[in-house]
Amino acid sequence: MTDKIPENNDQLKVIITREEIKEKVEELGKKITDDYAGKDLVLIGVLRGSIYFLVDLTRKMDIPFAIDFISISQYGEQSDSAGVVRITKDLDLSISGKDVLVVEDIVDTGLSLGYLLRNLKTRNPADLKVCTLLNVEARRIVEVPVDYKGFEIPNIFVVGYGLDYNEKYRNLRYIAEFDRP
Amino acid sequence: MGIITISREFGSGGETIARLVAEKTKFHLVNKETIIKGLSDYGIEQPPEDPEKAVSKEDIGPDGRNYIEAMHDYIYDLAIRNNLVILGRGGSFLFKDYPPALHVRVIAQFTHRVNKVMKLYGLNSETAVKLVKEKDHEKRQYYRRIFDLNWNNTRPYDLVLNTEKMGLEDAADIVVAGYRIHAEPRQVKDGPDGTDIENGILTSPAEEEADKFMHSSEEEFASMLDFYRIRWDYEPKTFLLEWDSEGNVIEAFSPDFYLPDQDLYIELTTQKPKQAWRKNRKIRRMKELYPHVSVRLIDKKSFESLLKKHHPEESKGE
Repeated sequence: MTDKIPENNDQLKVIITREEIKEKVEELGKKITDDYAGKDLVLIGVLRGSIYFLVDLTRKMDIPFAIDFISISQYGEQSDSAGVVRITKDLDLSISGKDVLVVEDIVDTGLSLGYLLRNLKTRNPADLKVCTLLNVEARRIVEVPVDYKGFEIPNIFVVGYGLDYNEKYRNLRYIAEFDRP
Repeated sequence: MGIITISREFGSGGETIARLVAEKTKFHLVNKETIIKGLSDYGIEQPPEDPEKAVSKEDIGPDGRNYIEAMHDYIYDLAIRNNLVILGRGGSFLFKDYPPALHVRVIAQFTHRVNKVMKLYGLNSETAVKLVKEKDHEKRQYYRRIFDLNWNNTRPYDLVLNTEKMGLEDAADIVVAGYRIHAEPRQVKDGPDGTDIENGILTSPAEEEADKFMHSSEEEFASMLDFYRIRWDYEPKTFLLEWDSEGNVIEAFSPDFYLPDQDLYIELTTQKPKQAWRKNRKIRRMKELYPHVSVRLIDKKSFESLLKKHHPEESKGE
């Protein structure tokens, strides 16, 4: 992990600092600890962007929990020939009767998360909630419930702390606005 | 909302008329001072060289252009929620396609204006002549450089007032009457035939749908909805928004998409302030007449940048 901008470029503009992320993660960790005390908590990280957030978040939680991961195809990915959203890596655990918390790096259009929630609901969890590090209300197309929000950001393209551009910049310790070529 | 724009020659009394009209109509007066203050409140400061003066000497730089663009955005934004009297600023051009509006030009002969200015500012005739000529030149240059228009052309205006022989109070009364008669929207509570507003929704029969033409951005949007298995209908309904005094529909709104599972209408829109203002006004009217209908405006640019996210190698070319 590094704070240094990996390459010399003027394309990165820090919008959320490392310190701010640390404080927010701690705050959310505490809140989730309080809310889920005594519950059968399963955190589901949505690959791949949310992994850094998920790990740091769970390190700030003082209750027992299980972790699993899920991945769904994105609109426009070359590899997807079916032309429709699919789960590309499914859960290993059963979530029936569990208190599920989906952990996302960013929620913007709500399309991806909406599909995910519809799918998870069919597995009969006892409860289904969402925690996201970044929320972009300005880009929302469909309503989705988001129970824990780290930061509200405007309609810009960001990288860092798990978020990538062409697989790069995930390991930045801050969130930056990225000027795409 | 309602707009009265007042374009005036320097020294013709236009400023006074604008003020009087604003008082009489209770419309919000927009002039240079209110704009500078408004933009300053948003943290947008005037560039060191006043764009209006700068434009007469040479083409204004990017700072000047940005400031003027910000000014236009600000005015359009104000117009969403307020009735406005706009003094100068090219208001008649900014709002030329947006009824209800009355566009007024105030004129007077050169010598009349020079005399006026001499009295107003206590100047000798030589200085006054110089000042009036300079101001006239600045206006011509501003119109030419910013709007590519000929300042001397009075055709775009609904009403031209010559104040050489007309009192300013009378002129203001004429403007107010002009607005009431010509521009003020007449609303009918009921739709045509006295039917309920709720019935003022036209549904296109399915057979006509087949020939519907989708712009490429709408096609792409639909494709994205398909991918996420979100059901959609394209332009399924037209909402009637405004009627004239004879019950003819003069404004309607056909949102681009309807998502039946979300019970949500979606309208794709560009970010250009001119169009955004018009769309926003329609959305507000929708909320007034059809409060149970949910409509969401989606900015095409942000949607396109979404696609950029997923197609990093392709350029959209739009």
